[in-house]
Amino acid sequence: MAYYLLLPLLSLLVIALQTVLADIIFLGRLAIEISFIVVIYAGFRLDLAKGALLAFVFGFVLDCLTSPVIGLFTVIYILVFLCSFILSFILDIEKIHFIALFGFLCALTKEIFVIIFYNLVLNFDTVMNIPFICLPQAIIIGLLTPLFFYLMRRLEVFFYGKPFHRTERTGDSRISAKI
Amino acid sequence: MFFFRNYKSLILVTLIFIFALIMLSYNVKYDKGEGIFRKIVLEAVAPFQSFSHFIVKSVDDSWERYVTLVGLVEKNKQLAKTIHELKAELLIYKEGYLEAKRLRTLLALRESLDYAFVAARVIAKKQTALSKTIVIDKGSFDGLKTGMPVVAPPGLVGRLINVSWNVSKVLLITDENSNVDAILYRTRVQGIFSGAGLHEGKLKYITKNQDVIRGDTIISSGMGGVFPKGLLIGQVKNVEKQDKELFLKIDVTTFVDFSKLEEVLVLVSEENEGK
Repeated sequence: MAYYLLLPLLSLLVIALQTVLADIIFLGRLAIEISFIVVIYAGFRLDLAKGALLAFVFGFVLDCLTSPVIGLFTVIYILVFLCSFILSFILDIEKIHFIALFGFLCALTKEIFVIIFYNLVLNFDTVMNIPFICLPQAIIIGLLTPLFFYLMRRLEVFFYGKPFHRTERTGDSRISAKI
Repeated sequence: MFFFRNYKSLILVTLIFIFALIMLSYNVKYDKGEGIFRKIVLEAVAPFQSFSHFIVKSVDDSWERYVTLVGLVEKNKQLAKTIHELKAELLIYKEGYLEAKRLRTLLALRESLDYAFVAARVIAKKQTALSKTIVIDKGSFDGLKTGMPVVAPPGLVGRLINVSWNVSKVLLITDENSNVDAILYRTRVQGIFSGAGLHEGKLKYITKNQDVIRGDTIISSGMGGVFPKGLLIGQVKNVEKQDKELFLKIDVTTFVDFSKLEEVLVLVSEENEGK
């Protein structure tokens, strides 16, 4: 229950932090989407209901703060969560390359989706932003995702004594991404 | 019932996703950016943003201060150097301004007198106890000759006593060897103005029965053939009647401040041939 109560508060905190960090580091030109990484992380760590709700809340708050249309990031975040969730059954997240690549691809897909949406639905001409904003943004997320996963893993070990595993993922059906 | 219990998570996620899609569709069509949810979230996130911004800004400021401190000594040196350079530059401009001011006054004097002038710069002052002279940067090559009168705003300065090729020496009217034929402007009484040291002079040979009061203006009389008539010499500072003497003892303060003399005009000819 505490999780559901604290979720909106956590989303506000994370999004406020990412806005401030983006302002300071990139002077508002690029965003550091910690919320996006949290959603990816949720796909690998949380169960379906909790994770979907987290993606919904984070997406909704982000929509309210940054999006011209409420619902855009909500839908994207839920889709990203579902992708991560499905992929978590197949691949192991221990490998940094995999996490980085997955974060990068998710972010790039998301950015392209947003641009297509802006172009087709809202008639914003933002295609020129792909090489200058979308790609750097995806690279940033690709680089930050393994770091975030590492930090969360350390926190899990600190709190639980071992990395946290949700109940559905304790089986042996997944394929390891370890080289 | 069994189906719902087994797939409740999946159903929940599907419902959430459908709800998000409906929300997106609705807002694409109807949202004007003024929804109540936006307002609530904006209000709710404001304190977090303020707090996060405060913390990050504090760290950023501290870092900036540290970085600033590292380069502060060098920057300080550079600024000090710039200040010195600017001060020197300012001094030059100030000097130029004052010079222009003086020259303007000099020009006004030149316009008021119907004579040909040679403007000269004072290059040395020898106002010792015995000799009250100055040296100017013009000489015989510029057409100067011994005896020519020298003026500066607002009046008479002296006359040339030594003229070299490029420099000349001027005997100031305050020198004790200097005598100028003068008259009192108000009463037209004639006397001799003699130098008596810095800023000081005496008007001699004015008889006791003459009307002389403090503040009377003394001008050159034009007699003697050295100084033209009408040049301002000074002002009566003090008048004393002495019983045993035939003449009044009149102390005079000169109009020209010799301590601040920098440019002068030498009266080359009696008539302004240049005009």
